[in-house]
Amino acid sequence: MLEINNLNSGYGKVSVLRNVTFHVDQDEMVAIIGPNGAGKSTLLKTISGLVRAQSGEVKFENDSIFCLSPDQVVRRGLAYVPEGGRVFPNMTVLENLMMGAYSNPGILKTGILDEIYTLFPILKNRSAQFARTLSGGERQMLAIGRGLVSRPKLIMLDEPSLGVAPKLVDEIYEKIHALKRIGLTVLLVEQNTGYALELADRGYVIENGQIAMEGTAAYLSTSDHIKKFYLGL
Amino acid sequence: MFETATQGIITGILMGAIYALIALGLSIVFGIMNVTNFAHGDFVMLSMYLSFAVGSALAWDAVATPLITAPLMFLFGIITYYLLIDRTLRQMYVVQLAVTVGLQILMRSAALIIWQAQPRALQYSFIQGNIQIGDFQILTSRLFSAVVSLIFIAGMAYFMNKTWAGRAMRAASDDLGAASLMGVNYHKTYALTFAIGSSITALAGGLVMSFQQTDPVGGIRFGLLSWAVLALAGLGSLPGLIVAGIIVGVVESLTVSFFDPRSRLLGVYAIFILVLWLRPRGLFGRR
Ligand SMILES: Nc1ncnc2c1ncn2[C@@H]1O[C@H](COP(=O)(O)OP(=O)(O)O)[C@@H](O)[C@H]1O
Ligand SMILES: [Mg+2]
Repeated sequence: MLEINNLNSGYGKVSVLRNVTFHVDQDEMVAIIGPNGAGKSTLLKTISGLVRAQSGEVKFENDSIFCLSPDQVVRRGLAYVPEGGRVFPNMTVLENLMMGAYSNPGILKTGILDEIYTLFPILKNRSAQFARTLSGGERQMLAIGRGLVSRPKLIMLDEPSLGVAPKLVDEIYEKIHALKRIGLTVLLVEQNTGYALELADRGYVIENGQIAMEGTAAYLSTSDHIKKFYLGL
Repeated sequence: MFETATQGIITGILMGAIYALIALGLSIVFGIMNVTNFAHGDFVMLSMYLSFAVGSALAWDAVATPLITAPLMFLFGIITYYLLIDRTLRQMYVVQLAVTVGLQILMRSAALIIWQAQPRALQYSFIQGNIQIGDFQILTSRLFSAVVSLIFIAGMAYFMNKTWAGRAMRAASDDLGAASLMGVNYHKTYALTFAIGSSITALAGGLVMSFQQTDPVGGIRFGLLSWAVLALAGLGSLPGLIVAGIIVGVVESLTVSFFDPRSRLLGVYAIFILVLWLRPRGLFGRR
């Protein structure tokens, strides 16, 4: 469904990603793990169009989306929930969710908001509140909800547990698990390797801007390298 | 003494509503695009000349001319955005400054060539005359302009909160990257923002032409007034903008009544500086 070949990307003259190749199949949940600064966010930002790729191939449903702008990428059905959520602080929760439908306003008539409120009931209670008043966990839920409004075919989540109070992390992960059950394809970036490998079908390890390892989640969680450097076992 | 003060305050409040409208154009461009348009006052000047041209050619009342000048200024805004502003967005701030200051000089020179240096005015309009309330007089044209300004500002609040284009503008103002992830094409949203800012000057210009004349350097005054109002109001609050406009209008009017008409901008400039010292975010600003 998503195919990346020999992708090189970075900021201006600075190269971050080198020859990254990976793919995500329909209905899969794929995790990308790696240490801080490895280039995980850069990878997602490049796919979504926020960062311009230098070279390589990015295909979504067999069409090239290489170097498309973010507003064009989201129209293809590929949503990106950025690191930290980046909700609109001076808009209400409801307005934030509505912005998720900006590329296709008609979708609001399909009952999508009710579905999102069912998934995240707290957002319904908070719908008239400004997003800046939400807690870290609520912001992440809003960001994920906002990403779901467009009914994407694939959703990319960048560290959804970042800035979330520890006791809420489990809840966020339950919701991500629920996304998989409703048939969404998910690309999950996490530093929290244990969680990521528990949920995902497959995973890639990215180190220094390169894919260092790949395999099924079961394979990765038994690998010595992962155990030693990521799971601290 | 008391009469003069009250009369000054009444006049100031009416002018203040118009200043709030003029500052709204600057405020949305600055608040949403983070672009400081130093030529904003000259957009008002150009709009007033267009009002003059339309009003004298069609024998229209000044207050009706925005029906034609607003679409023209909208177009002018779109063209200016794509030709100049869009190209400065990824550049250093000084580039943007140079471009809008250059635009200011260009517009002044063009006005001087086209309309010469002498001031131009339209025949005073159907809303001439005064309304007498007790001992005080209200110029009908100013009252009309103030009311139209307030209605327009309220309409703008509705637009920003209840339409897709308005929400996209607010989202772009909060987080441009996140807005583009929602499908907002920022070139289009910015072009619309700049064009709305520009057509606001057309409305304001038409209203002001109903009681004032225009000349090629008149833009300085409107530019300074807008900055003073914006500095006082801060970003992001439309009621704040109205209150700030009224404060500036009243200060200007009282300076004229009690000090010296030639020093009217001095009073305005003084509050501008005071606010920058004491409350850099403005009285109502959230950022
Ligand atoms: N906006 C930016 N400009 C320049 N360099 C950046 C920018 N964002 C990230 N980087 C650099 O790119 C590298 C990868 O960062 P990032 O993709 O955020 O890593 P991760 O998400 O894996 O923690 C880091 O060395 C970081 O310093
Ligand atoms: Mg990151």
